[in-house]
Amino acid sequence: MHFELTEEQKYIKAAAREFAEGEFQPEVAREFDQKHEFPRAIYKKAAKLGFIGCYFDEKYSGQGLGLLENVLMEEEFCRVDSTLGSAMFAGLFGSDLILKYGTEAQKIEYLPKSAQGEWVSAGAFTEPAHGSDVTVMDTVAMRDGDEYVINGAKTMITNAPIADYAVVLCQTDPEARHKGQSLFIVKKGASGFDSNELTGKMGIRASLLGEYSFSDVRVPKEALLGEENKGFYHFMEFIDVGRINVAAQSVGMAQGALERALKYAKQREQFGRPLADFQVIQHKLADMALDIESARLLTYKAAWHVDQGKIIPKWACMAKTLATTNAMRVISEAMQIFGGYGYLADYDIERYYRDIRISAIYEGTTEIQKNVVARILLRE
Amino acid sequence: MTEIFVLTEHRQGQIRDITFEMLSKGRELAGKTNTELTAVLLGKEVKNHAKTLQDYAKRVLLVEDTQLENFNSDAYQKVLSSLIKEHKPLLTLMGHTSFGVELAPSLAVSLDTPLATDCIDLEFEGETLTVIRQMYGGKVNVKAVLRKAESYIVTVRQATFPVEKEAPMNGEIVEVPSPLSEEIAKKRFVKYVLPPPGGVDITAAEVLIGIGRGIKDGSNIPPVEELAKTLGGALACSRPIVDKGWLPNGCQVGSSGKTVKPKFYLALGISGAFQHVLGMKSSDVIIAVNKDPKAPIFGVADYAVVEDLFKIVPPLKSKIEELKR
Amino acid sequence: MDIIVCVKYVPETAEAEIKIDSTGKAIEKTGLVFDINEWDDYALEEAVLLKEKLGGTVTAITIGSEDSDAVLRKCLARGADDAIRLTDPQFEGSDGYAIAKILSKVIKNLPFSLILTGAQASDDGYATVGPILATLLGIPHATMVKKIELDDGVAKVNRELEGGLEEIAEITLPAVLAVQTGINEPRYVSIMGTRKAMKKEIKILGLADVGLSENEVGETGSWIKTEKMYVPPVEKQAEFLNGSPEEIAAKIAEILKTKGLI
Ligand SMILES: Cc1cc2nc3c(=O)[nH]c(=O)nc-3n(C[C@H](O)[C@H](O)[C@H](O)COP(=O)(O)OP(=O)(O)OC[C@H]3O[C@@H](n4cnc5c(N)ncnc54)[C@H](O)[C@@H]3O)c2cc1C
Ligand SMILES: Cc1cc2nc3c(=O)[nH]c(=O)nc-3n(C[C@H](O)[C@H](O)[C@H](O)COP(=O)(O)OP(=O)(O)OC[C@H]3O[C@@H](n4cnc5c(N)ncnc54)[C@H](O)[C@@H]3O)c2cc1C
Ligand SMILES: Cc1cc2nc3c(=O)[nH]c(=O)nc-3n(C[C@H](O)[C@H](O)[C@H](O)COP(=O)(O)OP(=O)(O)OC[C@H]3O[C@@H](n4cnc5c(N)ncnc54)[C@H](O)[C@@H]3O)c2cc1C
Repeated sequence: MHFELTEEQKYIKAAAREFAEGEFQPEVAREFDQKHEFPRAIYKKAAKLGFIGCYFDEKYSGQGLGLLENVLMEEEFCRVDSTLGSAMFAGLFGSDLILKYGTEAQKIEYLPKSAQGEWVSAGAFTEPAHGSDVTVMDTVAMRDGDEYVINGAKTMITNAPIADYAVVLCQTDPEARHKGQSLFIVKKGASGFDSNELTGKMGIRASLLGEYSFSDVRVPKEALLGEENKGFYHFMEFIDVGRINVAAQSVGMAQGALERALKYAKQREQFGRPLADFQVIQHKLADMALDIESARLLTYKAAWHVDQGKIIPKWACMAKTLATTNAMRVISEAMQIFGGYGYLADYDIERYYRDIRISAIYEGTTEIQKNVVARILLRE
Repeated sequence: MTEIFVLTEHRQGQIRDITFEMLSKGRELAGKTNTELTAVLLGKEVKNHAKTLQDYAKRVLLVEDTQLENFNSDAYQKVLSSLIKEHKPLLTLMGHTSFGVELAPSLAVSLDTPLATDCIDLEFEGETLTVIRQMYGGKVNVKAVLRKAESYIVTVRQATFPVEKEAPMNGEIVEVPSPLSEEIAKKRFVKYVLPPPGGVDITAAEVLIGIGRGIKDGSNIPPVEELAKTLGGALACSRPIVDKGWLPNGCQVGSSGKTVKPKFYLALGISGAFQHVLGMKSSDVIIAVNKDPKAPIFGVADYAVVEDLFKIVPPLKSKIEELKR
Repeated sequence: MDIIVCVKYVPETAEAEIKIDSTGKAIEKTGLVFDINEWDDYALEEAVLLKEKLGGTVTAITIGSEDSDAVLRKCLARGADDAIRLTDPQFEGSDGYAIAKILSKVIKNLPFSLILTGAQASDDGYATVGPILATLLGIPHATMVKKIELDDGVAKVNRELEGGLEEIAEITLPAVLAVQTGINEPRYVSIMGTRKAMKKEIKILGLADVGLSENEVGETGSWIKTEKMYVPPVEKQAEFLNGSPEEIAAKIAEILKTKGLI
């Protein structure tokens, strides 16, 4: 048993922190939040320094690190800023599937550009009629000679309006439900492949959301990612890792909110003394710290297992559930400590409050996480 | 009777203010320690300076040499060591300036004489020399003693000691032949350069808004610039803002920038390091906005605002627009 | 071109609350965030930029306890090739003179053509280490350096003088240049750099390795010794403007109005 980060991990954390503190100024973050824009320039800078796709092999412009290191970066980035921090890791969403299941040619084509921040990607799974339940897809890909022809629609897809390529989950054998799904890489500009933006998002507004439509989109058979009809299983492994990433971002956001609340509680005086002198506030702070630390431990544990070569859905789902639930509570309490000021944009807590909310919904809702955990418990 | 040396700092035909500040302090110290005040003047064709200095010191030690025309710490060090070895002054004062900083440490090593730099006060208690210095950007003061010695070197902060109006001393000018026998080969003065000017002339503005590192990012400057415009004033800044390239050189206030005396100086997110304060403390009204209630800038401000500057700028702009209507 | 850069690990105090500790001679260090001295940050960057242009090596040296390995790792991550930490309980209380003595003993046995230091440190602000080091090594120096051009064994430097004026001077190498802020734009630490840095060994040397006696370092080996530390007396009491941001803004606007500036 060993609970210390390695020296290297500590320095990686410090490097991430230094970068985030230098680049994620609150005023900049508020601007991206208001403009609904992806921070391309900052993203490229982060990529150049090795913060994006650090777990890719070095030959694909990654750093050959593990998920735990990525978790540490996510934590630090989101701690410094929830909006810009989370956007940094949204930029290459979906590309992990190529890392894991891609052919060498696919890896060489897509991964370096993703890790270098040149390309932004999307992972397109959700459909208008299928959200939590992805066991059957309405988007179909039919083989036609050396090509597949894709028809259908995807919705609520991060980066859809700007992505250079998307990894798309399609039904290749409509009869076989989840045993008949496959993944395809579809490039921006493919004929019949269109996107438009979904606006009015509550939070994480520095990453864009959109929908895709496919009408007779022809892709070469080389666009098939992984095994034919194994798409669902590939996706499940992928999403378990994604869940750990969401957990890490949540821990970071909660930590950022706690630090802001601590500072505010020491400064703000009511009834002739600092808020921090009231036991009610002290207990709030203690509870917040507890919420964060427990979530952090479970998140690290889940990530550590992945780095040991074992993707264990139970840990991933538990980590995501605990981290997102706790973070929502922590941030809500931070707003409470800030009183009316927390509700105003100036103190950023309001933004954290909006940004954290999605984490209990995407990459599988909390309910779905618990379904998975329960199923495993009952089976074990 | 021993002496107190004050090293004259001059550049491009001008004796710099720090010299007179040191001579004032030197006179006080000489009185207290029963020593004589000597102005040391090194240069080329600087007899006019020597005449000026006669009013301020008991003696003017003048060394002229072509190699002393422009400041070169190697040349200065050689000449000064020979003067100090001969005269054994109790104390040698120089400015904590680009000049003193370059010269004092190596002079002290070569003479094995204790040195204290950037002092804001100094006093002999018996034979021990006690100095007051600042640390942590002026947030604390330190009282320190120098290792006991027969001679000391101290560099003093600019604009710290007032120049007192006192009766002229009519000092004698003593010309000393230059001890420089060979050429100073390893360090050569080439020329003076002025960095390219940029932006408005902040010294002419009646209203200045000075921004410091509290602004956090260059992208936050435009709203403050708007505020300055609303006021018909100009934007000035502390050094880090220029170092980061967010504003041109000409906007920097302080010892290595401009000295300004506007009717109104609003310092936003400036901690108040003395180098900055030197450049703005003579402003008519100074208002400082800083999150840190202990920021040294509040020591020179007339009005202090302990707040986040980003909270103050927008309402201030609207308030001013309101009043202008 | 082999370059040595001297760096210091200092607390960041511009925004922190400072308390004087129970000895009355130092500040309370717990809770403060330490990082590379701002001036050294520029010196390090300049060293790496010169190396990238001219080849050679950069060696970073610091004097300090184990904590200051962090500053050396940062140097290694940003492009330094080697790192040395000089540490000994006897070094405690050293002023700029004693520090320069320790550095000079080690540096004189290393190959170098250029030594870069910060013009000063943000904690004690002595601004003496660079020039003393040069004098002890018997080589020339320049301080307040804002630009460096190297050509055929000579460094052409811009020195910052007061009031925005600069002077250009030529210094024969080897030399010590004490760097002023703004000379370049220090880079961030990258992950690639961090990983490289972790594989390097930090060489650690103590008093005996350095070849100095106890009397030559620490307080006894120093010129200057702290008697006490205190909060500077308030010379001028500023009037505090209180209230909500809107109220404060109104008060500031009022002051401007009475001054006839609106
Ligand atoms: C900002 C944002 C970004 C997104 N990014 C992406 C992306 O990049 N790629 C992508 O493919 N998708 C993305 N999504 C979609 C996201 O993954 C889905 O919204 C999510 O999976 C839930 O699906 P749904 O919205 O259809 O909700 P539904 O599945 O309709 O669920 C509605 C509610 O019912 C509950 N529920 C459903 N089934 C069960 C059950 N069996 N037991 C108990 N409760 C149940 C859910 O927990 C939830 O509370 C994104 C969504 C948002 C808002
Ligand atoms: C949208 C909005 C509309 C508003 N409208 C109005 C309005 O119309 N009229 C009006 O007058 N005000 C209004 N307010 C102000 C609102 O009533 C205050 O924000 C609220 O009373 C809290 O005060 P505060 O923000 O100063 O927080 P603080 O008083 O600073 O409280 C901060 C935190 O400390 C806690 N705390 C404070 N004292 C104690 C104690 N003794 N023991 C334990 N905990 C304590 C609080 O519960 C809170 O969690 C509005 C605010 C908002 C955001
Ligand atoms: C030889 C030499 C010459 C120099 N010449 C000059 C010179 O000419 N001019 C000059 O300015 N400096 C000069 N300096 C540098 C000087 O020593 C200081 O480093 C510099 O002045 C500090 O600038 P600052 O106050 O902006 O930054 P800091 O000292 O970092 O202070 C920033 C301040 O902003 C406050 N703050 C942070 N965020 C906020 C916020 N949101 N709202 C309100 N307040 C906030 C902090 O509390 C802090 O007090 C010189 C140094 C040397 C060695």
